[in-house]
Amino acid sequence: MAIQTKMATGTSSSSASTLADMTSGGGMAAPAARTHDGPLAIEARNMNIYYGNFHAVRDINLQVEPRKITALIGPSGCGKSTVLRAFNRMNDLVASARVEGEVLFNGRNIYAPEVDAVEVRRRIGMVFQKPNPFPKSIYDNVAWGAKVNGFKGDMDGLVEQALRNAALWDEVKDKLKQSGYSLSGGQQQRLCIARAIAIKPEIILMDEPCSALDPIATLAIEDLMKELVEKYTIMIVTHNMQQAARVSDYTAFFMVDPKRTGHLVEYGPTRQLFTNPKEKRTEDYITGRFG
Amino acid sequence: MGINTGVAPKKPSGYDMPEGDEQSAQVGRRNRRARIWMGVFQLALVVAIVALIALLYSIVNDSFGYAAVENAVDPAQIMAGVQADRMLAAANTTTSEDDEVIAAAVAADPNAIGFFGYAYYNEHADELNLLRVDGVAADAATVESGAYPLARPLFLYAGQKAVVNKPEVAAFLDYYLRHADDVIADVGYFPASAEALAAAHDLLLQTAKAGIPAAIGDGAIAIAGSSTVHPLTLQIANDFRDIEGYTGTLTVDSTGTTAGYARLCDTQDVDIAGSSRAMTRQELAACDDLRVKPIELRVGTDAVAVVVSKQNTFLTDVTTAELEQIFSGAERWSDVNRAWPDAPIVRAIPGADSGTLDFMAGAIVSGTPAQLSAAEMVPLIKSAVSSGVFRRFEAEMPFAERSQADIYALLQERVIQPSVVASWSMTASLLRRAEIEKEVFTSFPDAELVWYRWLSKDFLTSPQSSVPEQAGVRTAILGSLWVVLITVLIAVPIGIGTAVYLEEYAGHNSFNRIIQTNIDNLAGVPSIIYGILGLAIFVRALEGITSGSALGVSDPTTANGRTVLSAGLTLALLVLPVVIINAQEAIRAVPKSLREAGYGLGATKWQVTWTHVLANALPGIFTGTILAMSRALGETAPLIVIGASTFITQDPTGPYSKFTVLPMQIYQWTSRPQAEFKHIAAAASLVLLALLLLLNGSAIYLRNRFSKTL
Repeated sequence: MAIQTKMATGTSSSSASTLADMTSGGGMAAPAARTHDGPLAIEARNMNIYYGNFHAVRDINLQVEPRKITALIGPSGCGKSTVLRAFNRMNDLVASARVEGEVLFNGRNIYAPEVDAVEVRRRIGMVFQKPNPFPKSIYDNVAWGAKVNGFKGDMDGLVEQALRNAALWDEVKDKLKQSGYSLSGGQQQRLCIARAIAIKPEIILMDEPCSALDPIATLAIEDLMKELVEKYTIMIVTHNMQQAARVSDYTAFFMVDPKRTGHLVEYGPTRQLFTNPKEKRTEDYITGRFG
Repeated sequence: MGINTGVAPKKPSGYDMPEGDEQSAQVGRRNRRARIWMGVFQLALVVAIVALIALLYSIVNDSFGYAAVENAVDPAQIMAGVQADRMLAAANTTTSEDDEVIAAAVAADPNAIGFFGYAYYNEHADELNLLRVDGVAADAATVESGAYPLARPLFLYAGQKAVVNKPEVAAFLDYYLRHADDVIADVGYFPASAEALAAAHDLLLQTAKAGIPAAIGDGAIAIAGSSTVHPLTLQIANDFRDIEGYTGTLTVDSTGTTAGYARLCDTQDVDIAGSSRAMTRQELAACDDLRVKPIELRVGTDAVAVVVSKQNTFLTDVTTAELEQIFSGAERWSDVNRAWPDAPIVRAIPGADSGTLDFMAGAIVSGTPAQLSAAEMVPLIKSAVSSGVFRRFEAEMPFAERSQADIYALLQERVIQPSVVASWSMTASLLRRAEIEKEVFTSFPDAELVWYRWLSKDFLTSPQSSVPEQAGVRTAILGSLWVVLITVLIAVPIGIGTAVYLEEYAGHNSFNRIIQTNIDNLAGVPSIIYGILGLAIFVRALEGITSGSALGVSDPTTANGRTVLSAGLTLALLVLPVVIINAQEAIRAVPKSLREAGYGLGATKWQVTWTHVLANALPGIFTGTILAMSRALGETAPLIVIGASTFITQDPTGPYSKFTVLPMQIYQWTSRPQAEFKHIAAAASLVLLALLLLLNGSAIYLRNRFSKTL
């Protein structure tokens, strides 16, 4: 149980000292100047990702602030999704993928040999691009994750709480036994979010969660993210710069180099990045000159 | 033309796509090509449907149709015998061989009823009333015409050779026909009509080419046959000697009609046979084949008079149905007919040795042997089979405990023994009905033409038999179910396990690719190869396990490996590739997003595989199972090699039983020469199809139930 923390306290400061040690001892070039010395939610250090011989992403150093929304933006193929998936070892599922460097979470490198990917994913949940509820009832969709992770308490209460937190409860409370597929796209995505928060993660990774949704459903998800961020750290990949500007606290901008290897160009508070980018490339991208 | 104006717009250079009319024409060509292909596919569909219908038709065609059924013992004869016993056993019944006794008994009691040969009624007409039967009064005309229900013609049959070569025989017959009417009333029968006698006489003259000799001669004349005709013949024979002065040896034996035919035709030691019924066409044909060529001479009519006392006030008419009730033991007249008084029935009838009793019993009895009680059938069976066989039946299950239907089945099998002597397909039966009826009438006069369902309840519930009418498929159905059960129980878990391993766990290395290629190719290996493999491994090498002797469940001295278990294992190997490939396809079709969703929630590989991959692949896995089941159910060749029984009457009771399966049974029956086996092979094919539909239907039902939650 290398990175296990007390479930009840969630992302509280129980591991603050460890994380503080990590950040103070880091000494690497942080892309964003931190404005405080609080603990980080998660941090990538010198992360390089390969697909077979292809160097997909190079030299990522990213310090993610707790209980903030961090947006990853950049043109297609820049590796932002790959980076996001590296934060809960989803890349393990791709046979040819290889991650080098460290991802520090609660003071431990989640890629350390003794760390099980299953433990990581229990702490760092994920919401995918296309809503992918299980072909089960709404209730079972939410309960399943908790069940496989050994939840023994009041399941009904947990399901209700998760659905309430995902702002879905009022819409589905009378049809919990119905299939998850019976919901609309936006509802399905919120169900996936409810499913993710039912296992009480510390971080929720969202991989373009609104790209398959209409503007109204998108707005609902964005509002939900703003509520969730009070309890959870959220990282979101988005193609939609307005969305990043609307919801995120921090933004990381990725680009590809001529070898098609993605890298982090600029990372900082969203307002600063959008109004006063330090890099010319960032400015070109956010003003729509390319991408 | 469509939306085109017909004017081709200017094309930029290098732009080479049809425009205007050219485009319309090009679209038309593409549509025509599409239509042609659609036609080809429709044709393929039609071919497939026609093939299916033709297959089904050929099976159904042989499963139903007319059959000529001949019984070893005529059911009517059985019923007559049973009825005679009922009459003799009825309470309040006087039986006597002496008709005077009967007449006196009836005359004395107003509630009495009796019957005897018509002749005696004339003698006692002053004391007795003759009853009309079914509304017909007995007199010379009604008896001769057959309108009176209790009448039957009497015949003589004479061999043509005897008539031609033996003047004394021709002379005797001539005398017989001329004087029968003179004495017949005295003997107790009705005369034949003058026309009938004249016709018989003409036939005699025609046959005796030399004419009736003036001098009688003194050669011997031998006569046998019906006991009914016997007194008449005896009377005329005496007259022939006394009045005509015949001096030769004249013997008249009372043997019964059928025995008389045998002596006339088979042993040929008599010249003339008396007969109380007409010879059947079959008997005539057989006799002609033996070069006897008998001629039929009508000599008189036997009729039974039903009488009551003159004192009886209520009875003038009676029906044969009422007669059956009255003489079968009804206690009171009012029980039979409400219009009659509530008085006891008193019966007086001829005794057990009397032909009149037998005739009366046969004439009034109704119903079929199927309606007989167990107590009535057991003696019939007992007298028909040897005492050893009867004891064996009793030992298998005492008759007292057997059901009426069981005993009737035994009666059918052992006494009546119906056998199909000729059979026709359904099409022939429907289209050539008249022809078939004629053919049966001429070739099988004793046979009854019935609409035969080769696929019947009995067919499903009977074991194998060497008699096609009694053979059934119960053993084969149970064998097929056992084998398929074991096949599925073994092949499906192993197949799913293999598929899960190959799809979810196995790395993409050359070893696994070789395994995959092998599995794909195994699906095309001829099934007989699997049979050879099964014989070597399961039947021989693992005999201890497949015969059950190593586990102590069967006797090692007699058990061998040719069991349900060996067959199931062999077929499991055979269908394994089908199960694996289908399961793989199904697992591959589970979307990656579902797996990711599962992993994203912190589930382990097994949890994701079990809950999401397998659950969602289940419909596809079921499809593979259905295909595997169908294949296993229809497979014959490997089972022949591993030694499934071709003739077995014992139901399989478990994995270590000897067995046969439906396709084996069908194969075995189609290779028999008798036509009837073709019919039951077709019926068994229908059973196999139905079983297949049933099994697949239940699998589809299960599949739909499992995928309903989606």
